[in-house]
Amino acid sequence: MDDKNLIKRAKVELRDAYEYDQRDPLFGLTKDDLRGDQISRRATLRLLAVGGALGLAQVLPGLRSTPAMAGGHSGGELKCAWAGVGEITTLDPAQIGQVLQFQIASNIYSGLMHIDNTLVARGDLAESWEVSENGLEYIIKLREGVTFHNGDAFNADDVEFTFNRSSDPDQSRHSRVIANVAEFQKLNDFEVKFILKRPQASFLTKALERASGRAMTIVSRGGLETLGLSQYGITPIGTGPYKVASHTLGQAVELEKFADYYDPDRPKLDKISIQPVDGVEPLAAALEAGDIQYVGGNPFPTQLIDRMDANPDLMVDVKPGPGFQSIWINPWHEAMTVTDFNKPLEELKAEKGFMVRLAIAKALDRELFIQQGLFGYGVPALGTINPAMGFFFDEELASTSEQGYDPEGAKALMAEAGYPGGEGFPELTLQTTPNTKRAGQVVANILKVTLGISVVVDPKDFSIGIEEFNKMEIDLRLGGSGGDYDPDDGLVDWMQTTSKFNGPTRDTSTKPFGFWSEDEADALIKEQSATADPDSRRALVQRANGITSNKVACAFLYHPVDVLVHNKSVIVPEDARIPGLHELDRISLA
Amino acid sequence: MAEIILEDLAQPDAIVRKSRLRAVFGRDRKAQVGLVILALFVLTALLAPFIAPLDPNEMSLNMMSQPSANNWLGTDDLGRDLLSRVIWGTQISLLVGVSTVALALVAGVALGVVAGYYGGWIDNIIMRYIDLQWAFPNFIIAVYLVAVFGTGLLNVIVAIALAFLDDFARIARSMVLTLKEEQFVDAARVQGFSDARIMFYHILPNALAPLIVQATVSVSYAILGEASLSFLGLGVNPNTPTWGLILADGRSFISQAWWLGFYPGLAIMLVVLAINFVGDGLRDALDVRESEI
Amino acid sequence: MLAVATLVFFMIRLVPGDPIAAMLADSGGPEAREAMIRRLGLDQPVIVQFWKWFTSMLQGDLGASIYGNNQPVKTILLEALPRTMSLAFLSFMIALIIAVPAGILSATRKNTPTDTAVSLFAFLGLSMPDFWLAILLIIVFSANLQWLPAIGYAPMSEGIWEWLKHLILPSIAIGTGFSAIIARMIRSSMLEVMQADYMRTAASKGLPIRVQMLRHAFPNALVPVVTVIGIAFALLISGAVVVENVFAIKGLGRVLIQGIQNRDYPVVQGAVLVVSAFFVLSNLLVDLLYAVIDPRIRYS
Repeated sequence: MDDKNLIKRAKVELRDAYEYDQRDPLFGLTKDDLRGDQISRRATLRLLAVGGALGLAQVLPGLRSTPAMAGGHSGGELKCAWAGVGEITTLDPAQIGQVLQFQIASNIYSGLMHIDNTLVARGDLAESWEVSENGLEYIIKLREGVTFHNGDAFNADDVEFTFNRSSDPDQSRHSRVIANVAEFQKLNDFEVKFILKRPQASFLTKALERASGRAMTIVSRGGLETLGLSQYGITPIGTGPYKVASHTLGQAVELEKFADYYDPDRPKLDKISIQPVDGVEPLAAALEAGDIQYVGGNPFPTQLIDRMDANPDLMVDVKPGPGFQSIWINPWHEAMTVTDFNKPLEELKAEKGFMVRLAIAKALDRELFIQQGLFGYGVPALGTINPAMGFFFDEELASTSEQGYDPEGAKALMAEAGYPGGEGFPELTLQTTPNTKRAGQVVANILKVTLGISVVVDPKDFSIGIEEFNKMEIDLRLGGSGGDYDPDDGLVDWMQTTSKFNGPTRDTSTKPFGFWSEDEADALIKEQSATADPDSRRALVQRANGITSNKVACAFLYHPVDVLVHNKSVIVPEDARIPGLHELDRISLA
Repeated sequence: MAEIILEDLAQPDAIVRKSRLRAVFGRDRKAQVGLVILALFVLTALLAPFIAPLDPNEMSLNMMSQPSANNWLGTDDLGRDLLSRVIWGTQISLLVGVSTVALALVAGVALGVVAGYYGGWIDNIIMRYIDLQWAFPNFIIAVYLVAVFGTGLLNVIVAIALAFLDDFARIARSMVLTLKEEQFVDAARVQGFSDARIMFYHILPNALAPLIVQATVSVSYAILGEASLSFLGLGVNPNTPTWGLILADGRSFISQAWWLGFYPGLAIMLVVLAINFVGDGLRDALDVRESEI
Repeated sequence: MLAVATLVFFMIRLVPGDPIAAMLADSGGPEAREAMIRRLGLDQPVIVQFWKWFTSMLQGDLGASIYGNNQPVKTILLEALPRTMSLAFLSFMIALIIAVPAGILSATRKNTPTDTAVSLFAFLGLSMPDFWLAILLIIVFSANLQWLPAIGYAPMSEGIWEWLKHLILPSIAIGTGFSAIIARMIRSSMLEVMQADYMRTAASKGLPIRVQMLRHAFPNALVPVVTVIGIAFALLISGAVVVENVFAIKGLGRVLIQGIQNRDYPVVQGAVLVVSAFFVLSNLLVDLLYAVIDPRIRYS
């Protein structure tokens, strides 16, 4: 089925998913849909849609027919490298804060549910379940005969323990995820009941899910007791397909097949070693020498992609990724002041501060930046909505937005604002992290060449940088979101007046709003979050996105790409390819 | 008559040493080579704006290209000319090398001389601190100071200077202790010279020899230190090309552009080598034994 | 040492940067932040924190890292120590293996081409930045020839060869500079000693050159060399800091730098303490050695 047809089918599915009565506590599904030992694709799509986590990127993979892949044999040892990190700091779900950590943890633990790549929600440790008519009560029957890696038997007590632990903000960072649970009841050794405060579509698909939820990733009481809290984070015990054979901080995480895993077909490999590799050169050397066969973790260094692609032993798969990166401009800086974004665009364009802001955005030669800064691996961004969000992405924006690359227009604006050729304009500092320093230098150079202004790159350690960013004590900053695939991620988290990244700890007496605040955008973003019909939602999203772009919420720069690199001897079937994760239990060696 | 004799005794011995210097340097080939190399680097530093073929910060799409007619040492990952960057890097390296040692020398010697001359509780307090500092490798102190006070040229200079001050203080103090008992000091005291005058005009010049040698050693370590700090990301502003920084930035591209890892390091090595040659020559000339350092 | 501890404790808190914000980055709201602060005891006045740390330290408890999964600092340091020690030990051995024969050779063949060659080598080794040498070694041996791994560390338990494989390159990087200093010291010290009276006595006794050198000259020459070794030990540790960084070996140096970057106060305090204790101890050892060697020699 070619791409066009695929997308047509996907849209049909999306439309269906979004078609339901918002007042229905069961979201247009029947009790039967939500009962049993798996939730059909259609129902899962519905739940995801209601929960705000459904986009084209999620729908497409399940529609593609899986080519018959020469199956690998079972057994063998896989050597992996996790890029861009010096150590796997913790594998305790309650403390996990980095994607690269739960990429590993999702292979060591189980959740109650697990969504596969075709978007069928399957039970992981939940064998079957049912939801009450009012959508508030979830009764879950647990799988029997499951054991932890240390031999302890799994039962409802473990679910209760995990629940209590995760609800306590002193013990877990993710207590918010299950904040909607009013009460938890253990019915018997293998049955539990959750009573919610309000109907929540994402309860089954996110809160209880193995990977994304983290709140209900089942931890081992016995393990915590024997090992103690900090050691548990280093050598955790779970019920997942792999158990931790050994791990010391800074060294590799050695996983081995858990013989008593409840699914006899998985995992395929006997052993996996995951070595954190900090530098770029060592990663390249190890891949080329065949010392490692698979790379996960932080984004793969762009300067190596071409080289790895040319290597006959390696396979490189590049997909559009989620997220966006921009240059954030402080609207309270003397030379760039904008006190009210609500004015109509024409009026704003007459203000000096806004002129400078727009000039900076227009001067960004995004194609050049991607060439120089990212070695060609990125997509120009003009809003938070990225190509991976498929359906919602506005392809026209690049040519219609005010922010589109226009060096002559940018120069004219600067001149009009009183700084012809950049003369007289104060020097600005562009804050970056040590890792994004290089990208920052490229941007500074572009601004210098086009506008004639001097921008000094100021790399700061993340801990300092974040503080200054939140307090808005900076001129410019290069940053953005790593992102999910849903429009909510970019818009809600960054583009609203009350967004958590919009200058939360600033001095509100001198800075009434953060980096940006626009009423119409606020309203649109709120509305789209609750809108069911995909076409209507799309319209709202694109309007909001357009406003953020035209009124320069920030100078958008690029969307990253998602790159997977592995040796040809590693067979990565379609069902192992869930965005952002590494399903190591389905991978095998040729 | 007596006065003249006393005056004689009170004069420093340094004059004698100077002619020895000339004699030895004239013969010592190594030291001569060192001086020549150093002179070349100093000239490069001074004339950087004129010698550098291209703008060291000018980026181009000609990224990571091999040494060629256009770019004698090749280009870096942002398309900047390596030769120009290395030439400009000379400025910072030499500046840091010299200024840190100058500072450390002045501060350390002052402390050491005062401690040695007065003795007693002054000596105690000062040496307590110096010993405290002595307990740490100099470089670690510099790292720590930069972490606390931030990066940037001024901070780096001060940090390295502070870190190296213990060496000078100790030498100065021990020289003062030995010289304190010499005749010419008594003579000066009898003549009624002030303490300060005695310390700095009479004793110090005689203590110069080991201090000078230490200074040259320290300059080479200061240059290496600045390079290491820049390498660790704790050095000067990232917009200024320093050799350590070029190496650090180039680290992620080494297998594609080996020249990024080779030439800046070579520059560091040559400068330090030259200083060491000269330092060695000085040591021979001033007849300072290694174990005194 | 106590003064050191106090100084370190207060200074690291001067460093700007909020470790909590960094750790929580984008998950967890204000209540998570408060919970974390409470859990790590950072909500109490600094003086109270200092007192707690100080008293526990005296009992051997160095507190727990405030970063990541709160490993006890003692554990972190205990894990890091053997790595740095292995590195130091190996570097030292390599340095000696190069320096001793080089030094003796160059002293006995003063002013011959051998002497010049060795001296030149010594100068080069002295002038090379250790991280540069490290990078060059990686280029040649890991990237191109692929004989040796570019990063990481393998404990002895995985076999001597594994252990050695990972440590050879970094040890050469550190050891070379070190060996240059020692070689020069041996040379000049031996030259002095060779002029001494008792050497002439030995010569007049008709002893073969080799015996003269090895039995008489060399041991006496050792005295100032030992002193220099003690002082140069600082170089070993400083070198280790940078080289560990290049090779991603989690030894003391790396722990210290990462601690500073993460504003992980307890780790930095502990690491600085250990490094200085290490250094003080090694100086003591040198002094002891000095005392041991010295009187013995007088009798020969």
